[in-house]
Amino acid sequence: MTERVPVRENVLKENDRVAAGLRAAFGGRGIFCVNLISSPGAGKTSILEGTLEALRGSSVRAAVLTGDIQTERDADRLRRHGFPALQITTGGTCHLDAAMVRRALDSLPLDGIDVLFIENVGNLVCPASYDLGEDVKVVVLSVTEGDDKPLKYPGIFRRAGLMLLHKMDLLPHARFDPAAAVADARRVQPDLEVVETSCYGAPGLGAWIAWVQRRLEAKRAAEPHAQP
Amino acid sequence: MVPSVRCPLFQGIHELSIAESIADSVRQHAALRGGRRVRRIGVRVGDTSGVNAEALDFCFAIVVRGTDLEGAALDLERVPVRFRCEACGHEFEPAEFDPRCPACGVERGRLSGGDELSLAYLELDDEEPGRPGETTG
Repeated sequence: MTERVPVRENVLKENDRVAAGLRAAFGGRGIFCVNLISSPGAGKTSILEGTLEALRGSSVRAAVLTGDIQTERDADRLRRHGFPALQITTGGTCHLDAAMVRRALDSLPLDGIDVLFIENVGNLVCPASYDLGEDVKVVVLSVTEGDDKPLKYPGIFRRAGLMLLHKMDLLPHARFDPAAAVADARRVQPDLEVVETSCYGAPGLGAWIAWVQRRLEAKRAAEPHAQP
Repeated sequence: MVPSVRCPLFQGIHELSIAESIADSVRQHAALRGGRRVRRIGVRVGDTSGVNAEALDFCFAIVVRGTDLEGAALDLERVPVRFRCEACGHEFEPAEFDPRCPACGVERGRLSGGDELSLAYLELDDEEPGRPGETTG
């Protein structure tokens, strides 16, 4: 004979527990943390390079954790822009989890950081499931990928707070309807904010960088005890 | 054996991590209940959880092979996307996230279900294992 025991708990509760610890660590230091997610090749690393270069002349101190299955290439690229960047090599795993971030932070001191960018492994599916303690998940959708992605990969759009419509400079050459992409993404997540970006030519990264600075200031204002 | 047509491992290895998380949780719960043998594990998989049920089933069998959980059946219950109309409160299953409420016609459906990835239940043997003489048949 068997007995059925109801359980009702999140399968990823251990990840959520570690992520809650990270969130507390970020909050206590007034750090605004962004979890950047997209498919491979959408432009995450280039966006971060441009963002770091722009922040170099500002009072905002940034740091980057960048996840890839193999190679240190992204961290090498990102370190050229004046801020610390650390590679997390997952060795086959298709997403970052909270424990990987916590381990990486052993080598990246949080003191003196205002904004922590976590560049997830290029993948629109798996990273959606894992809370990394971030303030916001930012999903990058480039116009060369097709405007049907939001309904094909609803999980990540559902959990994102901001969508970057990226490579907008290529829009004249792509069969991509930005209005349709935004409308579909908001079917899944009505509160989704949208910012148009490009690394080469207009509209550039200015609106995105301003968004990050606004959110950092809002977090600092909401948590006045945080030690910058 | 790796299936020849669609290999779940290449659809997304995160089902392997999730299978490991399920096995860990199940062992904790079974240990709290005297280490009784686990026969069946109920898992609810939401349509927007990003988890492929077929891949999860495949990965779970790999993860528990040769362990105390080998042979435990995974009962995967799909949880469809549900919307709740913010205008009239009606709950419905939308087609392709269409927010138009079938009851009042207003386009204000918001996701209210289908996100989850949860352990729902365990089926355990009544008897604790490895104690000859204590069984009551």
